[in-house]
Amino acid sequence: MSAQPGPRTRLAGGLLLWYAVLGGAIAWAVHLFVAWGVDELTCAGGSDRIGAVPLRLVVALAVVLPALATAGALLAAAFAWRRTARTRPDGIAEGALGRTRLLALVGLWSNVLFLTIIVLGGVALLVFPPCQR
Amino acid sequence: MRAPDLAAATTTEALTTELPVGRSTGWWGMVMFVATEATLFSCLLGSYFYLRFQHGGEWPPGGIEQPKLLRPLVMTAILLPSSLPMIWAERGIRRGRRWRLRIGLAATLLLGASFLALQGTEYDELLHEFTITTNAYGSLFFVITGFHGLHVLVGLAMVSWLLAASLRGGSFGARRHDRVRNAAIYWHFVDLVWAAILFTIYLSPRL
Amino acid sequence: MSTTTAPAPGASQEDLARLDEHWGERPSIRSWFSTVDHKRIGRRYLVTASLFFVLAGISALAMRTQLARPESNLLSPQEYNQLFTMHGTAMIFLFSTPMLFGFGNYLVPLMIGSRDMAFPKLNALGYWVFLFAGLFMWASLPFGAAPNAGWFAYVPLTDDVNTPGLHMDVYALGLLFLGIATTAGSINFIVTALKLRAPGMSLNRVPLFVWAIVVTAFMVIFALPALNLDNAMLFLDRRFDTHFFDPDAAGNVLLWQHLFWIFGHPDVYIIVMPALGIVSAVLPAFTRRGVVGYVLVVLAIVSIAIISFGVWVHHMFATGLPHLSYSFFSAASTVITIPSGIQIFAWLATMVLGRLVVRVPLLFLIGFIVTFVLGGFTGAMFALTAFDQQVTDSYFVVAHFHYVLIGGAVFPILAAIYYWLPKITGRMYHEGLGRWAFALVFTGMQVTFFPMHLYGLFGMPRRVYTYRSEPGWDVWNLVSTIGSYVLAAGLLLVLIGVVHAIRRGRPAPPDPWGGDTLEWATDSPPKPYNFPVLPQVHSLHPTWDEASRASMGDDATADRTLTDGRRTLLTSELDGRRERVVEMPEASLQPLLLALALLVFFTALLFAWYPVALAALLAGAVTIAVWLWPPRRPEEELGVVS
Repeated sequence: MSAQPGPRTRLAGGLLLWYAVLGGAIAWAVHLFVAWGVDELTCAGGSDRIGAVPLRLVVALAVVLPALATAGALLAAAFAWRRTARTRPDGIAEGALGRTRLLALVGLWSNVLFLTIIVLGGVALLVFPPCQR
Repeated sequence: MRAPDLAAATTTEALTTELPVGRSTGWWGMVMFVATEATLFSCLLGSYFYLRFQHGGEWPPGGIEQPKLLRPLVMTAILLPSSLPMIWAERGIRRGRRWRLRIGLAATLLLGASFLALQGTEYDELLHEFTITTNAYGSLFFVITGFHGLHVLVGLAMVSWLLAASLRGGSFGARRHDRVRNAAIYWHFVDLVWAAILFTIYLSPRL
Repeated sequence: MSTTTAPAPGASQEDLARLDEHWGERPSIRSWFSTVDHKRIGRRYLVTASLFFVLAGISALAMRTQLARPESNLLSPQEYNQLFTMHGTAMIFLFSTPMLFGFGNYLVPLMIGSRDMAFPKLNALGYWVFLFAGLFMWASLPFGAAPNAGWFAYVPLTDDVNTPGLHMDVYALGLLFLGIATTAGSINFIVTALKLRAPGMSLNRVPLFVWAIVVTAFMVIFALPALNLDNAMLFLDRRFDTHFFDPDAAGNVLLWQHLFWIFGHPDVYIIVMPALGIVSAVLPAFTRRGVVGYVLVVLAIVSIAIISFGVWVHHMFATGLPHLSYSFFSAASTVITIPSGIQIFAWLATMVLGRLVVRVPLLFLIGFIVTFVLGGFTGAMFALTAFDQQVTDSYFVVAHFHYVLIGGAVFPILAAIYYWLPKITGRMYHEGLGRWAFALVFTGMQVTFFPMHLYGLFGMPRRVYTYRSEPGWDVWNLVSTIGSYVLAAGLLLVLIGVVHAIRRGRPAPPDPWGGDTLEWATDSPPKPYNFPVLPQVHSLHPTWDEASRASMGDDATADRTLTDGRRTLLTSELDGRRERVVEMPEASLQPLLLALALLVFFTALLFAWYPVALAALLAGAVTIAVWLWPPRRPEEELGVVS
């Protein structure tokens, strides 16, 4: 662990942290737009299939895939928070470590919130036929 | 190879990497401006789809013909590559090569102006068929393309302004090129928006 | 006139003289128009927004006087329509956000330890545009041409057939004009907070007020375009016969509502969020500890902002979505209450765990919590659709959002006025006068708006200029009217308190409250350069920690004093590592000129003088071109190869 990571590794680490912080938010936004948009437009067209695929399956995918992405971000955030919890290695400023831990913790809790939203919204799929008004 | 990479990327050293870092205030200002403009265009194009799908019937409505494709494709082939000389010019001035800046800007200017000229001929033709007051489709068509054309005009004004400043001398060099970079960000944005408009206005009615 | 100075600055007399020379402005008419000092601009925002608040408040008093008894004819229906529309529009757009941006303008550079905003000239432009846009809208009232269709201006009521005349053109153009100021201000806040923080101020040491302002600015960036587009379409429909909202020509009236609420729901938080930031900033000084759960409050601020973009459909439940897609939005609407609750409990915990110092700002914070929670409570009642259908468009709704907005924005703003008055004016306010003001404002507010719940439930519709005598309506309306005069008297007492402090108040020390953020580590009022020595920040509460304080005193270094030129420091985005020294712009008349060109442009559009509008636009473009024109530098400095 003593070797300084190269620029690509640093980039990967930085991006991983941002995925941990914003992954849930972005996944939720995608979920909202795709699930709502597909449901709305297909039903407005008077059908509950898109081509040969049942609409329900498409909406289910628009729930499950973002939920998985959010769960991944949640794990990444938990991981980043635990990883940085150990004593501070040499050569890392106190501010940088504190900032990373703040972002990881904010990411952790916000991913929990977004996962809750996606799951709560997605449960309706078990109850309502996709086009019932 | 992947597993060790992942392990390296999750060390404290890697995770605390600062990203983004070292940008200038002007860069952030332009990026934020472009972000708000991009939202504006998303709302505009979103309104197009909303009105189209809420309308339900044939689209374009009111007996207006499907938009012709040839000219917009030529316009695309002119506008999208116009970012290339811009990139080339910006890279040049970062190494202090002023001639590259001047030639690149002039090329971008020429391409952008041809785009606007072609758009003018398109309007000239279409206005015989329908106008902004014909129906909501006419309003959408002319407001969306016109608003984008206005952005191209603003972009061209920026490029001419940069060109004038660089011809004067004493303006840009390897250590001073923030303005070139910021104008370039705007220009690339205007190009990208055109791709979205091409899809929305010209291609999507055929889907 | 001179006030006490901050203890032992680490800069020599010589340094201070040079800083004064570079940053000081000699009082003159020209400097009054050309200043780019964020403190002067911030003060102007506060004064101007207060002026619009007074105008909107007088409109409200006129309406309450009209409604004091049934079948009164003090105001004509036409006048009443314009008054309630201008009241709402001005309170939302010309008072709340600009007032909070005014505090942001004054305080953000001080709190992050910088010498100005990132773009000082853009800041000046923002102020002038805000001023002119506000005057543009209010000027229509004396001519009987003010907006008159409610602050959310639903089509088709607002199209050119149903509302002829200039009324809604003033609305659409005025808000587009104002949008320039709001967007410019927001970009400025974001960039300032990202790049100009004092060295050492990594994201985990950023004051909660700054978090709130920056997150609000991000919301403006992504929400305001929807409103701008909506207003542009409305203007085009009215003036140039386009058909965006015309169902007979493939348009759709619901498009207005969608775009309006895509903006409108985040806007509720755009108004309330900075006010909540004020609460988090004021509490530590009066509880003698930091806000409990800093990370959770940051989480709440950020997640509320994001989720608020995904709930707009709940304003339009009646428009016939499939149940399934509605569930996606209602999930978001449900979960957004969690971070809102986190904030309230964080403040309550801070008050429980801290040692309370009961001064006027704290009183207003307590008033805020009580009122805001009541407003939230009635808000939750609307979630029951059956109840919502009963009370929609009744006075119950009016009661609800006045509890939310007066509780959530006006009380924190009043707390902020008392809290930062010593910093801004260098004078202390009169405590007794302040307590009387609080008592009157709080009582007046409850007496005015609580009865509205009742006569709302009794069926009185909102936005009616008069009413027939009905059981339960007459008495409670009279009570509301009396309450509104009490409220007005309380607000007048606030104004008297401010004037009294400026004229007669005793000089304020640099840190009268023992506050925790950096604005308390410099003079009251601060010098034009804010800090003789830019601080090196070591913790979240720099004024409470020795190392950070010492960095401005005994541990001062020349690379943080920066006396040769108008200079400040750029630091890195996340960790606040020192990057480089930058030169800040001098005072300039260009912002005023550009704002004037825009004023001419919008006025010309309103009166359909299109050639004048075009000329004004060109004048504006030329001003920008001159503004940004690069200064001529020697080739060696630029780094030119050929």
